Amino acid sequence: MLIINGSTDDTGHEDPGHPERPERLAAALAGVHDLHLGDDLLAVAPYAASRSELARVHESTYLDQLGTFCYEGGGDLDEDTYATYDSWSLAQHAAGAGLAVVKELRIRGEGVGFVAVRPPGHHALRDRAMGFCLLNNIAVAAAELTSLGEKVLIIDWDVHHGNGTQAIFWEDPNVLYVSTHQWPLFPGSGAPFEVGGLHALGTTVNLPLPPGATGDVLRRALEETAAPAIDEFKPTWVLVSAGFDAHRADPMADLALSSGDFALMARFAAGYAPAPGRLALFLEGGYDVTALRASVSATLGALLGGDEANEKPTSGGPGAELVSDTRETRQAALRIARDAGE
Amino acid sequence: MKPIHTIAVGFDGSADSKVAVRWALSLALHYDAHVVVAHAVGLLGRFDAKTVAVELEKSLLELCDECGLEHARARLEIANGDACSVMLRMAEPPVNADLLIVGTRGQGAHAGLLLGSTSLELAEHSPVPLVIVPSA
Repeated sequence: MLIINGSTDDTGHEDPGHPERPERLAAALAGVHDLHLGDDLLAVAPYAASRSELARVHESTYLDQLGTFCYEGGGDLDEDTYATYDSWSLAQHAAGAGLAVVKELRIRGEGVGFVAVRPPGHHALRDRAMGFCLLNNIAVAAAELTSLGEKVLIIDWDVHHGNGTQAIFWEDPNVLYVSTHQWPLFPGSGAPFEVGGLHALGTTVNLPLPPGATGDVLRRALEETAAPAIDEFKPTWVLVSAGFDAHRADPMADLALSSGDFALMARFAAGYAPAPGRLALFLEGGYDVTALRASVSATLGALLGGDEANEKPTSGGPGAELVSDTRETRQAALRIARDAGE
Repeated sequence: MKPIHTIAVGFDGSADSKVAVRWALSLALHYDAHVVVAHAVGLLGRFDAKTVAVELEKSLLELCDECGLEHARARLEIANGDACSVMLRMAEPPVNADLLIVGTRGQGAHAGLLLGSTSLELAEHSPVPLVIVPSA
């Protein structure tokens, strides 16, 4: 069963010509529709995340300022990020949609969650909007789960490093953050030597990939470097920052993945969910709407035991030689940090 | 006071940021320092990054000439990220800037009055001294 958030009217969060646009969400939902799930699709009513739920990961001052900024008409928050009059309400509902989907999964104890919302969230910091993101949707859900005693694995396969999510959980030993991303690229963070704060050493795993990298390289990085960390962490929940802008057709970056690669990554993530009903994916980036639709469909189809993706997994791109360097850099950084902490 | 060997200044090509760069270059003359002129490339910046870099490089050379600083003492650093994060990274290795300089309304200052401009964010988080240069 696929559990998604009920539809929200996101058309109020729009800036003409901006790539983070309502058509993205329509494409993602079309990807869900393409699976013809019938009774195996459940839409749960979205609600606005409460102040206390948001304040677990965002500073109160920032929440006040963002709300006021929107109600005064909005505008550009930085060179990339906009907000409109409606954005505050929509962002609250995007964060609340994640909470609603996770809650439904907990009640049912079965199914896979897909939180199809915008604006996206993984660049949003505790005190600042950034990179098209206003509120960090996946972080709000992860913080809810850790407050219930869960250990949360976040896999972030968006092509951009999720600096906001990493920063929010930098010192949290109950959240393991694993990111694959193009390097160098915005936001500039996500080096392999970033391994978590002193109270949570090892709970950040960064797997940078060079432009042109294909799925085989990404999978090798996950298996050689992330898998041992995940095995040691022993998550009780798995959340995925599912950006689809690492697709070869996406205009925002230069990785060379196919929808088939996303399907394989989804299976990798699902392999770490310790029980049914403990896996939810959150839409992040993805700006080519055709690729986004196909990738969402392939990803969710793989999780629900459906057909193979239309596009085969990719291989042969650059970066294989960097995988072992990444692993060694991470291990050295961990040794240095542990020695410094003793 | 710690000696000033390296100065980092934010530059987006705007008139306000040019004021800050002029100030940084003049200070470098005084302290015999080097200047790293940092330009942040955001998510949308990738589409015209190469063109912008050429324009900024040209502009930097002109500003060096104007201030009397030899070209070798100033270099342009194009960095991925938002303006605040990029400037903070300038204070870390490998640049290790001893001083950060920004204009009041340069990169990323769009909603500064309400949400905290780059300069105010830097004032809160910078590990090294920060100079905020008012526009002319």
